[in-house]
Amino acid sequence: MSTPVISTDVQRMLDDMRDGIWQGRVPARIFNDQEIFELEREKLFAKAWCFLAHESEIPKKGDYVTRYIADNSIIVVRDEHGNVRANLNMCRHRGNVMCKSEMGNASHFRCSYHGWVYKNSGELIGVPYFKEGYEGQLDRKQWGLVPIRIDTYAGLIFGTLDPHAPSLDEYLGGFQFYLDIYLKQGANGSEVHGPPDHWIAETDWKICAENFSGDGYHTPVAHQFGFHLGYFPSSGSTHSEGWAVNIPGKGHGIGLGHTPGMPAFFGYPDELVKQMHESLSPEQLEVFSKTRTAVGSVFPNLSFLIQPFSLVPGEPGVRFCTMRLWHPIGPGRMEMWSWCLVPRDASEEYKEAAYKAYTLTFGQAGTFEQDDFENWIKVTKAAGSTLAKNIEFPYVMGLERPQLEDFPGPGHAVSPYVTDTNFRNLWSTWLDYLTREE
Amino acid sequence: MTVQLAGVDRDVRESIRDFLYLEALALDERRFRDWLEMFADDARYEVPVRVTREKLSEWELSPNSRIFDDTKETLDVRVKRLETDFAWSEQPPSRTRHFVTNVLVQPGERADEFLVLSNCMIYRSRGDETTPSLFSAQRRDVLRENGDGWLIVHRWAALDQAVVNAHNMSIFI
Ligand code: FES
Ligand SMILES: [Fe+2]
Repeated sequence: MSTPVISTDVQRMLDDMRDGIWQGRVPARIFNDQEIFELEREKLFAKAWCFLAHESEIPKKGDYVTRYIADNSIIVVRDEHGNVRANLNMCRHRGNVMCKSEMGNASHFRCSYHGWVYKNSGELIGVPYFKEGYEGQLDRKQWGLVPIRIDTYAGLIFGTLDPHAPSLDEYLGGFQFYLDIYLKQGANGSEVHGPPDHWIAETDWKICAENFSGDGYHTPVAHQFGFHLGYFPSSGSTHSEGWAVNIPGKGHGIGLGHTPGMPAFFGYPDELVKQMHESLSPEQLEVFSKTRTAVGSVFPNLSFLIQPFSLVPGEPGVRFCTMRLWHPIGPGRMEMWSWCLVPRDASEEYKEAAYKAYTLTFGQAGTFEQDDFENWIKVTKAAGSTLAKNIEFPYVMGLERPQLEDFPGPGHAVSPYVTDTNFRNLWSTWLDYLTREE
Repeated sequence: MTVQLAGVDRDVRESIRDFLYLEALALDERRFRDWLEMFADDARYEVPVRVTREKLSEWELSPNSRIFDDTKETLDVRVKRLETDFAWSEQPPSRTRHFVTNVLVQPGERADEFLVLSNCMIYRSRGDETTPSLFSAQRRDVLRENGDGWLIVHRWAALDQAVVNAHNMSIFI
């Protein structure tokens, strides 16, 4: 992969960020800029572990979904041996797209151009006029689909384009502790409720990734209707309470908001809480039992949220869990992917209630979702304007706040929930990738 | 799909067509409370997620993923929200125009219900943006007689795009 040429003013901006982030300053320009977009594609998305799919999306042999890492289309498939594989969705003969649908089931893929046939695992097994045309010149073993390195954690399938990337385990670096609240929601973990919604938004992916790294600050205002009408069990006067935790140098961060006076694990069915006492560690239970909102991001662009929503104002309501991927498709432009995760072993009744709460709040027509994107497209537009190129935003919240000493989980934990601490770590990790020498 | 038009008289067809136009007018005039009154208490409002699939696949409209998955109670939450000053996604309000055509009325499962197919094209303009959103959908409604008028018992609408090019769906279909 080529290293893009960096203009002097972008280079200067990145150099300034090195200290600026820790002094609490981040330039607006990074949120809508052609050069930054290209740098991210070459130096971040080509190097990081990027989310591809959840294993429950491809439960049976031959099941596949097509996904992206940066601008690369990738087929994620469960092969005939039951193993998950990922291959570039491109025929090795002349580059045609192999698989044009988002999901399906196939034991083989046949190219619609000259008819090369591959096993779903990627091996080339059929070449028209193999004897007559190629006369022994083509070694089929060498021309299978291009494999993508993958690894999994608790049902999440990640891929990386970098053969030298550290293991996924090392990459997550302890954030697994927090991911478990989303991925081990019951004795048998979580599954997707169905295929994701996806849609296009004129928004920079980083605004969303930052927001979901624990921006509890925006909630009482951006989602004011929920507080005002009593559907969201928090109040403006106590909303800052809770924790923010990040994994230093890795970019991952989570906000854990509390509602004083609410019982432990409110909004979950009792049966599920019982299961969580089996699937989670005592330290995890201590952290999560107090948590009303768990909003976290795996660097760079995968996020999760658990929160309750109540149709009866003032009641604890029902918890739902969403997983979202902020997929960059241009400077200030993204494709949004949104799933609902449900506990595999929960009752159908709870799954349906949780799914309904998800569509009402964070699906494409969700009442919280709508307000977020309305703000984010405005931020993106402003960040691309001429004068904004030289403007910085303050990231000074919690700058002097010491780390909590007796926090039960890994990483750098602070209180209150409302802070920029996770974001400084996010931007510093982002900068590490963008400025790393090959 | 076979469409069975026999057995529905002209007055019913006319009356249902008028009802759909009045419904569109209520939405476009942002009279959401009036619009909600057009739904039966046991109403369902569903917009399935469309997935790009191979031609021979069992389904293209997801049997379980929904963009809207509402009851009258949850539609009421949406309307209550729009009645506050904090529905930021509709601030300033979207300007919508619902174009309802190709209305076909068939007998329903009950004597007082009808299955109504229609096409709906929605134009939405936001603020000073020069590019509008266009949503094309097929609706499959169940309407129930209610005195002189009608109630929507089931609104099922499928968008024709698998990847919707609008940053949100802050309007009704
Ligand atoms: S491009 Fe696929 S067979 Fe030629
Ligand atoms: Fe939000």
